[in-house]
Amino acid sequence: MGIMAVEAIKKTSATRLCDDAVSIGADGRAVLIGGMCRDCGNQTFPRAPVCCVCMSETIGEQPMPRIGTLYAFSTVHVAAKKWNKPMCIGYVDLPNGARVFTHLAGATLAIGDAVEPHIGIVGEDENGAIESFVFRKVGS
Amino acid sequence: MNGVSVIGVGMIPFGKYPDTNIADLGWPAVKAAIRDAGIEGKRIQAVYSGTARGGAMVGQRIMGRIGLSGLPIVNVENACSSSSSALAQGVIAVGSGVYDIVLVIGVEKLTKFGGGTLPLDEEDWEVRLGLSMPALYAMRAQRYMHDYAVKPRQLAAVSVKNRKNGALNPDAQMRKEVSLDEVLGSRMIADPFTLLQCCPTGDGAAAIILASDAVARQLRSDPIRVRASHLTSGKFIAGFRDMTTPEITVRGAAETFEEAGLGPEDIDVAEVHDAFSIAELLYYEAFGFCPRGEGANLLESGATSLGGRIPINPSGGLLAKGHPVGATGAAQVVEIVRQLRGEAGPRQVEGAKVGLTHATGGGISGFDHGACSIHIFQR
Repeated sequence: MGIMAVEAIKKTSATRLCDDAVSIGADGRAVLIGGMCRDCGNQTFPRAPVCCVCMSETIGEQPMPRIGTLYAFSTVHVAAKKWNKPMCIGYVDLPNGARVFTHLAGATLAIGDAVEPHIGIVGEDENGAIESFVFRKVGS
Repeated sequence: MNGVSVIGVGMIPFGKYPDTNIADLGWPAVKAAIRDAGIEGKRIQAVYSGTARGGAMVGQRIMGRIGLSGLPIVNVENACSSSSSALAQGVIAVGSGVYDIVLVIGVEKLTKFGGGTLPLDEEDWEVRLGLSMPALYAMRAQRYMHDYAVKPRQLAAVSVKNRKNGALNPDAQMRKEVSLDEVLGSRMIADPFTLLQCCPTGDGAAAIILASDAVARQLRSDPIRVRASHLTSGKFIAGFRDMTTPEITVRGAAETFEEAGLGPEDIDVAEVHDAFSIAELLYYEAFGFCPRGEGANLLESGATSLGGRIPINPSGGLLAKGHPVGATGAAQVVEIVRQLRGEAGPRQVEGAKVGLTHATGGGISGFDHGACSIHIFQR
């Protein structure tokens, strides 16, 4: 996706945990929004105010590729009270070089799976349900 | 740089001291180190005090208790490497000739957090999304098991070895041996880690007195020389990282060996950062004690057990001795100094002449670890 696609993305309120790092695309699907350095082209997730390669402060919003590869994951049983447990977390590598730490869902996950982001409830605190992006196996 | 030696060490047994404040955890370790060095406390010219979560001015609070104030005291925070980083500063200060004798402290009180996983900074992106230290190491373990066909029981064997060592160490928090079945049968924390594959929560303090080689020789016949003192930070990488290779430790180990003019084959005993079972296997490989992917086989061969070729974590390591995070690096040095002096009793590594300590940590996005400090000592 190019720069134009960003404008087609409608912001959603279902992103309390991760602010503007996820949006819902025109097709109704979740899209992660990272950053791209306008000076050197480095892409990261999440977007940072300064480029970790060239120190440029001109970082544009950049939709991330949807489908990534599950690098590693763990089902975690002991964590802060606010998280739904057990919670499955992992790292997903995107084809643009970004690595995403994420919650995961689905019963048959395996390292190397192709996965894609959705919006899901991952916990609850005094303000109500905590929503975030949650990766699932493609097609599940 | 002038040569630097350790002339005194001391620690309190690691454990749970919920009713003791951090100053009162710290001073007994300092007093023990001063006694061990056989010097008057007022000969200490500067203090480097490491704590990760102890709060402000911990060095002053400790030294005030024993009437040793009015001197330079530097408080160092570097997560699990806090007191090993403080040690590196002390070595630089003595090695540069600024001071003849300095004190290094490591102290932590984790019981104040009331249990659970180590609190991390929620300003960090991944921490905010739910990352914790057990989860981070668990992902390393999962990927390692996937890449090298390692089974859960092979991971659990690390805990069995280190709990066996800890049973021989009066300063260890966990002093009971455990079986492989007990490790695997304990409750699940973060798959594949069961409870007994995670370091316990606890409190503790350790202290080290450094002197220039010239002064050390005047004070005792058996000073332990610092052959290398190394500190580095992780490399920030926003993208792909091989989680089965701890880059910070691989690089730190190579630089430390180069500084010492030694290699892994020269190390007789080592204390490495086994915060979770997988970590010890990764560090066997990072230090070159075995090739990549061979960590579980090295453990199974008995090479890293007491009596083996390269005993690792004879103190019980973080898994058994405990891991009051800021105290860990200093406590590792206490163990290695005792080993090199032949004072380690039933867990003595026979004939140990060269020992290594390794403390690394700090869970923050984009880094494998925030800090890593490695030291090599020789008698």
